[in-house]
Amino acid sequence: MRRNAIARWPPPMHDSVTEAVLRAFAAERRYGGATVDRWLALAPGDGTALFALARELRLGDNQLCDLWEWAEEIAARDGVSLAHVLEMEPVMAARRRALARNDKLKHVKTVLRRLRFPQLAAVEDRLQALVRELGLPDTVRVTLPEFLEGDVIRIEIVAGSAAALRAAAAGLLAATRSPTCAAIFDALTEAP
Amino acid sequence: MRAVEHGTSDRRRWVPTAVWIERGEEESSLARRVRGRLPDSPVCIVEDPRVAEPQTFADGKRRLVIQRRRGSFLQHCPAGITGMVCCNYLVMNFASNCPFDCSYCFLQDYLANNPALKAFTNVGDGLAELDDVLRAHPERTFRVGTGELADSLALDHLTDLSCELVPFFAERRNALLELKTKSDDVDNLLGLDPKGRVVVAWSLNARAITAAEEPGTATLDERIRAAARVQAAGYLIGVHFDPLVAHEGWEAGYQEVIAALFRTVDPRRVAWVSLGSLRMTSTLKMAMRARRHGIQLLGSELVPGVDGKERVWRGLRVKMYRRMLEWLRQVDAQMPLYICMEPAGVWNTVFGAAPADREVAQRLVAARQ
Repeated sequence: MRRNAIARWPPPMHDSVTEAVLRAFAAERRYGGATVDRWLALAPGDGTALFALARELRLGDNQLCDLWEWAEEIAARDGVSLAHVLEMEPVMAARRRALARNDKLKHVKTVLRRLRFPQLAAVEDRLQALVRELGLPDTVRVTLPEFLEGDVIRIEIVAGSAAALRAAAAGLLAATRSPTCAAIFDALTEAP
Repeated sequence: MRAVEHGTSDRRRWVPTAVWIERGEEESSLARRVRGRLPDSPVCIVEDPRVAEPQTFADGKRRLVIQRRRGSFLQHCPAGITGMVCCNYLVMNFASNCPFDCSYCFLQDYLANNPALKAFTNVGDGLAELDDVLRAHPERTFRVGTGELADSLALDHLTDLSCELVPFFAERRNALLELKTKSDDVDNLLGLDPKGRVVVAWSLNARAITAAEEPGTATLDERIRAAARVQAAGYLIGVHFDPLVAHEGWEAGYQEVIAALFRTVDPRRVAWVSLGSLRMTSTLKMAMRARRHGIQLLGSELVPGVDGKERVWRGLRVKMYRRMLEWLRQVDAQMPLYICMEPAGVWNTVFGAAPADREVAQRLVAARQ
């Protein structure tokens, strides 16, 4: 029987994690030695908070390191502890959501990314709003460059018939004529 | 940093806690010169200079190792990689590592396994190597710098390296030497005639960044005064606004630097100005974290680029380049400008065109001839 990832997974720990517990968990998850050493060097509160997150989301080594790096950079920037970042309300709200493990991981990652890159996230939000303003048909999808590191957008059209393709293309053509379309490229080119 | 009295500048110069010399090089002119300048520093002669490698990167910056260089002195600038517009810069490595300790410095990662601050004795071999290249390609003019793996002038009060390099380049018709520095150690240069073949370049940053992230270096005002002195002595100067850091108040900060610089130096005698955004590899970030260096910079919004390095997102870089361009063009509309380690798309957006390979170098060499 498939284990229920949400209901049966234990709540975050609040007591300090011992080295033995952490090593056992790391061995189970096959974390690298460097990861474990780095972890053991953390302040006890930070180590425990990270343990709670890793256990909750059953993180692999790379997943752990990605989230950890962002959280650590937020902590350094804001002058707070790693534990504080991992227990911030938006992060905890994501962690509390009743989602399958992969969806929850994605959600937590999205939240941490927004905290890590607030200015970039604001520009991305504005661009997404502009894309919505274009009023494109549902069959046309716009993808912005990852981390906005590029000056081209990708357009994907899904059509099951010539008529559907014509309708999608017509909607797209109309959108290209709107000032909003130019505003998208302007926003992509240079920060406001 | 300990103080030592050399030259006419009032700035405190770097002095190593000890000098390690490779056996066989004790009587080299470099070793004799350094020992003469540092009579009180302990000297250790070693059979194999690798034993002088320190345990930590920080320790490497406290001692000086004098040894022969065994590999090639001449390299192509590592920035010239696929996807980036290249300015065809050649690098001569007469030293390795730097007494300064900028928080963002790539050497923390690049030299992690051999961090000893080294000065190489066989300078003549390096110049002969370069001479072969210059003679083989008389149709090309080469830009050659010594400030990639080291600061070009930070050790000059001990080594007098500039006294060998400037006369060498002064006699070459198809090469320009760039001495790139964050020091104000220019005393040696003032008595030499560069004959238009030497550019002394300063890396400049907003005062807030210089103060917080560039320990051991000359202050902004000291660098600007040094630039004015070498300009008055007949040198062209170069300026590198690199790394541009998107910190709070960056617009006012960089505008103020430009204003301060050109209140003191003549913009018509500026060979080139480069702009480059702060960039970091993941391994550099790890090294910085381990040293607890540049904590605020590590919190910057840096995102991965096509070359694997992280920078602020492209739209913000473009904004910073455009503002800098605007302020610099207000000073001198003809000022030769380029951007470092950026793809053609960013060049297009900032300058309206992306130059072809070798074109940047040709333009820069021709600009103030």
